[in-house]
Amino acid sequence: MELVKKTILTMLILLLAGTMAFAGGQQGSSDGAGEKVKLVFTSWRTEDIDRMNRINAEFTKQHPDIVIDFQPVKDTEYDAQLKQSLAAGVGADIIFLRSYDSGYQIYKTDSLMELNSMLPELKDFPSAAVAAWATPDKVSYAIPAAGVVHGVYYRKSIFDKYGLKVPATWDEFMKVCETLKTGGETVFAQGTKDNWMLYEVMYSGLGANFYGGEEARQALMSKEARFTDANFVLAMEKMKELQPYFPERFEGIDYVTMQQIFGTGNAAMFMGGSWEIGIFEDLGGLDDVGYFAPPLANKGDTLQYCFHVDAGIGFNKNTKYPEELKVYMKWLASSEYAQLYMNELPGFFSYTPGSYTLTNDLAKQMQSYVAKSVPTVRTVWEKLSAQAPSGNELVGEAIQLMYADKATPEQACALVDDGLSWYYE
Amino acid sequence: MMKPTKAAARALLYGIMVFYALTIIMPLIIMLSTSFKSNAEIFNNPFGLPEKFNFDAYTSLFVISNYGRYFLNSIGVTVISLAVAVTVSALASYAISKYQFKYNKAIYVFFVLGLFIPIKLGTVDIMLTMLNLKIFDTLWALIIVYIAMAIPLSVFILYDYIRMIPDELSSAARIDGCSEPGIFGRIIVPLVKPGLAAAGIISFIPNWNEFWFPLVLIKSREHFTIPLATGQLFGQFDTKLNLVFAVLSLASVPVIIIYLLLSNYFVKGLSAGAVKG
Amino acid sequence: MLQAQKKHARFLFMFIFPAFIIYTVFMLLPILNSMKYSLYSGDGLIPENFVGLDNYVKLFTEERYYSKFWNAFSNNIKFFLIVTFIQNILGFFMAVFVTRSFKGNKFMRKLSFLPTTLSVLVVGFIFKLILNPYYGVFDKVLEALGLGKYIIPWLGDPRSALIIVSIAVSWQFFGESVLFYSSGIDGIDDSILEAARIDGANIWHEIIHIILPSVLPIVGIVTILIFIGDFTQFDIVYAMTGYRGDPGYSTDLMGSLFYRTAFATTERGGWGTGMGATVATMMFIIVTVGVGILLAFFNRKKEEMLK
Repeated sequence: MELVKKTILTMLILLLAGTMAFAGGQQGSSDGAGEKVKLVFTSWRTEDIDRMNRINAEFTKQHPDIVIDFQPVKDTEYDAQLKQSLAAGVGADIIFLRSYDSGYQIYKTDSLMELNSMLPELKDFPSAAVAAWATPDKVSYAIPAAGVVHGVYYRKSIFDKYGLKVPATWDEFMKVCETLKTGGETVFAQGTKDNWMLYEVMYSGLGANFYGGEEARQALMSKEARFTDANFVLAMEKMKELQPYFPERFEGIDYVTMQQIFGTGNAAMFMGGSWEIGIFEDLGGLDDVGYFAPPLANKGDTLQYCFHVDAGIGFNKNTKYPEELKVYMKWLASSEYAQLYMNELPGFFSYTPGSYTLTNDLAKQMQSYVAKSVPTVRTVWEKLSAQAPSGNELVGEAIQLMYADKATPEQACALVDDGLSWYYE
Repeated sequence: MMKPTKAAARALLYGIMVFYALTIIMPLIIMLSTSFKSNAEIFNNPFGLPEKFNFDAYTSLFVISNYGRYFLNSIGVTVISLAVAVTVSALASYAISKYQFKYNKAIYVFFVLGLFIPIKLGTVDIMLTMLNLKIFDTLWALIIVYIAMAIPLSVFILYDYIRMIPDELSSAARIDGCSEPGIFGRIIVPLVKPGLAAAGIISFIPNWNEFWFPLVLIKSREHFTIPLATGQLFGQFDTKLNLVFAVLSLASVPVIIIYLLLSNYFVKGLSAGAVKG
Repeated sequence: MLQAQKKHARFLFMFIFPAFIIYTVFMLLPILNSMKYSLYSGDGLIPENFVGLDNYVKLFTEERYYSKFWNAFSNNIKFFLIVTFIQNILGFFMAVFVTRSFKGNKFMRKLSFLPTTLSVLVVGFIFKLILNPYYGVFDKVLEALGLGKYIIPWLGDPRSALIIVSIAVSWQFFGESVLFYSSGIDGIDDSILEAARIDGANIWHEIIHIILPSVLPIVGIVTILIFIGDFTQFDIVYAMTGYRGDPGYSTDLMGSLFYRTAFATTERGGWGTGMGATVATMMFIIVTVGVGILLAFFNRKKEEMLK
């Protein structure tokens, strides 16, 4: 019977605590209904909570009656969660949107504001960026907010130890790899457990110089080219050339582990995206970290630079506070926000017109390549990922198979092409 | 000649037991001890106990992530859903075990069948129903689903407890003019308290740990329960290993404590079910 | 007595009604309704165009669908077989051990159930972290023991990933089998065991002729519960290898396939709500048929033994 009493007591305590929770919850919501308006901002960047809160604090300083609540969702689940919450009418007010078809799908659910007349500033934004978040009839549904670039991070101290210089061409790059490997270093932090990285960063970033960048991507979309064409296979072969320089048991290394390996100084290079600057800063500081753009196929080539249209900011049509949202929208499209954003989140490049000073050296280096390059975006992102199986998944899976020695570069490309048959129907 | 073999058998038995105990305890110790280490220590000294107990991970967890809120949400959902489930199940069990009518057995089987029905497979419809009821993305959506989930097992357990109560007691009460709800409240409930407790406790674990429904039904951070928060925070803190392990420890330790306090109930309740089945 | 009951028929209804309605509306009907949605298709959250059996035709004739479906199905069978082996066979022997009389057997029985109280998600994450090829403790232990050459990328290699995932689940629910089997063994009449021992039966004899027959019904229950749990398992895949069942779908199970196809967006492997409901319906059929087969099998075994 003692046990029964103990049980009932425990249950009672739990019940009490539970009731408190619900009472607390109600209190919390009545707080928000006071004079302050709370706008919810969602994105897939869970890493950015602190930084975004600092940026939004600046806004609240100017508009004390509006508070921005930044509520990101884990990247891999973001799109599904967003679609469901919007359909359910519980979506955030301010919404990070991916470019092209992915964002367009959200627009098609009729839950986003149309910005053309509300935000005339948009016409001064780079037109290619605006187009990434607009309908075929040029209706804009998001402010182009951030672009990211793909390239190679390296450890300066390790390069210095072997007297290595930043490689400009693929041959030089291979020589650097070989030297480091002979020296017993972990050349790349790269693993293949998460396959999106293989496609987004490696193939789209480092492959672009070989498959022919933007022109080839356009040809692929217009169905003039196929993924089995020689140039796409060549880029795939180049990816395969990197494999000997991956760490031991790379198949088991996931994305986060790669960042940890490189961030803590345990690998010489990391093929990554510009969004990772903040992570490396947190992991071990940036003093020792350098960056170079994807190596060229031949000396004298023009760099095909994957400057991906990463994030646009859309606005929920069914918001409870359209007026306040408009105020915040204007601020998001201002150069003041753009500068704050680039200061807090180095590696994300704003499309907002204006002249900016980049405070971060790595971000400066990343941008320094832009002037002498042809920009492009991820290979099969626009249009080719609109249906299942999506180009995104296919390329990642194919490369993963290739690195597992289950497919040759030709076979990998053929797998992608097969999977994309829905596009050619 | 017998002696040495017997001693060897003993030694083997203890050896197996120690090994088994280690496989259970080690992962949990690693989880707890890692949560008290600094990130550098995790890489340099993965085995040993932490040099000093560093509560940074826990404090920052409560400061940055509003963890207290998730905890209270979980408690609220669990307590309300279990209380309701046990109450309605007790009522139903009373009716089907103490009143003789045509479909006793059929209704009992109908309820117990739920033990073999994976409710997950109805998720698409549950999601759309919650949307229609306008309780999508609220804790009520979870509460309702969890009540439904707990009913089959509760009926299964309570049916036996109530059936074993002698009929004389309720007959006597009836003669004294006690109403039917009165009989249930004043005679049955006090007698089946251990059964009610067993039903509640056994449903507590699956309910507290349930991850699938919050993943589909809950979108706003302020309505996260512990399992959903665990999944989200695991992604959010991914490079900060001590925080990750702190998240996992916080999700597990309360359940472990409750289990250790009430383990006899779990064991009794569950094994009774197994033997009967 | 019966007279009194007739008078109280309305209470009968009143008492059963709340449980009945919640249970029916939120457990049984959703499964039936989900079957209905499998006959619809559409882009939105709610599929609106009636397409008859089109989704099923697509699921089994279009390579992009059936390759994933059969892959998840065959992974799930392997998963079930490994888990059943560990939980039933090893679990049975462990139950035999913990029911012997020795110092600490009460403690061991209590301890063995402990992992079951954790959430599957937490267990998956712990295993994933312990098996990390870079800082995971497991590889470091193997190295320390001089077994370094056997280390492989546990969760990165398609040959080992599914096995590891199965082991993680078994680790968690092993205690449940031990608990069930030990309570079965507890139920064996001591006099039978005594008699056998006097006849000079050794432990093997005892296990095969006394213990096994008396726990066989429990084996049936445990196997059926494992079957249902395994064919709807999602959390472990989500935690250890992501909802795509990496690497290369080698750990994709029916549960993760259902989640991905029904709730993810197209770029991430979604097939739309209608197709998702179709997958759920197929899972329901698989579970029902599987449970039916297992029930028939164990009933026959029981009868054979009664003869």
